[in-house]
Amino acid sequence: MDFKAIYDHLQAIGAPGLEGCDEPRPANKEKKDKGRAGDAYVLIDPQLLPQFLHVCRDDPRLSFEMVMDLTATDPGKDDENFWVNVQLISVKHRHRLSVKSLLPKAEPKLPTCTTVHRSCQWHERECAEMYGIEFDGHPDPRHILLPDDWVGFPLRKDYEFPEEYHGISCK
Amino acid sequence: MTEQAQNQGTMTLTEGETTASGEREFMLDVRTTDLEVNMGPQHPATHGVMRILIRCDGELVTGAQPHLGYLHRCAEKIGENVEWLQYLPYTDRYDYLAAMNNNLGYSMAVEALMDIEIPRRAELIRMICAELNRIGSHLIAFGTYGLDLGAFTPFLYMFREREWMMALFEKICGARLTYSYIRIGGVFNDAPPGWLSEVERFCDVFDEKWQEYVDLLMMNQIFIKRTANVGVIPEKMAYDFGASGPMLRGSGIDFDLRRDMPYSLYGEAAEAGAFDVPIGKGEMGTLGDSWDRVYVRTIEMAESIKIVRWCLDQIQPGPVIADIPKTLRIPIGEAYVGIENPRGELGHYVVSDGGKIAVRCRVRGPSFCNLAVLEELLPGTFLADAVAIIGSTDIVIGETDR
Repeated sequence: MDFKAIYDHLQAIGAPGLEGCDEPRPANKEKKDKGRAGDAYVLIDPQLLPQFLHVCRDDPRLSFEMVMDLTATDPGKDDENFWVNVQLISVKHRHRLSVKSLLPKAEPKLPTCTTVHRSCQWHERECAEMYGIEFDGHPDPRHILLPDDWVGFPLRKDYEFPEEYHGISCK
Repeated sequence: MTEQAQNQGTMTLTEGETTASGEREFMLDVRTTDLEVNMGPQHPATHGVMRILIRCDGELVTGAQPHLGYLHRCAEKIGENVEWLQYLPYTDRYDYLAAMNNNLGYSMAVEALMDIEIPRRAELIRMICAELNRIGSHLIAFGTYGLDLGAFTPFLYMFREREWMMALFEKICGARLTYSYIRIGGVFNDAPPGWLSEVERFCDVFDEKWQEYVDLLMMNQIFIKRTANVGVIPEKMAYDFGASGPMLRGSGIDFDLRRDMPYSLYGEAAEAGAFDVPIGKGEMGTLGDSWDRVYVRTIEMAESIKIVRWCLDQIQPGPVIADIPKTLRIPIGEAYVGIENPRGELGHYVVSDGGKIAVRCRVRGPSFCNLAVLEELLPGTFLADAVAIIGSTDIVIGETDR
């Protein structure tokens, strides 16, 4: 299925948390719209993300068996939201879906998706240490790539580089 | 019994039977407490700096916990601080055994945001390089796996062909390991005169040598005994952990991005029937065991040669890079592009705000996800099999840690 067919089907079955979609569009000078390139994606309420992934996995026409990637994005210092991006893939139907959730920076907390796909476990640990996003109910919330005592969330845009780490100068 | 011995476990002495010669046998039954062993960070079988905390009861592994991050080099943070083209050399360094494929993945992700047409000759050279690099990478995977299990000879044999492959890359781009050859918009420069015919010679020689590898290692009875029925990944577990590449196909799932979600000219090659996708069949034991993964990698090398031959057939003179400015400004947007790396799906998720620098440059390394399976696979196996299982996942630490 292409993106439009998937989106129509998601609407038809009333997928939990579905908020809308965004498709690439050409620039329009009259409306002062710069346009957008790249992938189309669906917007999901972050608090209902696990339920959404569950429906996507078990619906026979969608059959998204695998979460290929789960990551977050900080779109800018002034932006109020983080993005949580999930890439789904279906081996059975050979199609992909990009999922995006807007998560307020003021309270970056959402339920874990580990209960649906265990591959999310390590991705979520990485998100948590890099962005300070809290995954509620995560079975093993330790750091994964960074040292256990690392301060701050390096991939946030307002991150300030440390001057030293355990007596090692970082300048 | 001393207090210390009591703390460590129980020790019981039971009297056995009297043998025919009149000697009396005593049985000493020692039950110890679980022992925690650090495998790594410097251990030859972890193929880099990774530590696995293994809890074992005698020879039996009862728990395993991989610890990563020893080789974390902030690739994603660097991606948000350098220009689009400047990031390309960093892509070489995550999966350093398949740098061409990394270049290709990143270039394609950026190209997905641009309105750009890649010249046909560039696409074909890209495919040749990517497939040759896949062969090189699988050779290392295959050779070092033999080494892990105590077979020293195959490792040296593999390096013979890999050396030639690296010499070919040296001729086309000047580097032997970190190429930065595939650029946004095409490839850096055209193949030198005579290069394509040398690739053809390489294919002919490799076909012959490939049979040697099959006889030497893959069909070796000792090797089969060490790997068959060891580290079985059932279909459901492969899906659940997001395994990709040979890990997925070894479990009998017929899925290859090159054929099923084609990029570059792979769709055309698949339609022409230029290559097949090998999947594990459980010939030597259970479907999804370590041997099946080795089988998939080995057959894949022969299939890669077929793709290279198809490309050599198709190639015509022409330009090798599209017209792109020195300082790239990428249109606003976001794209995720996944390609079939030797180890699985290498995904790049790039976000642009229209400027010279990326807003987000996410790398989804296949090794990272394939490694997560270890926590589930290792408990219940023997310590000696643990090495066989880790080796069969074919991880590159540069990629898990990025």
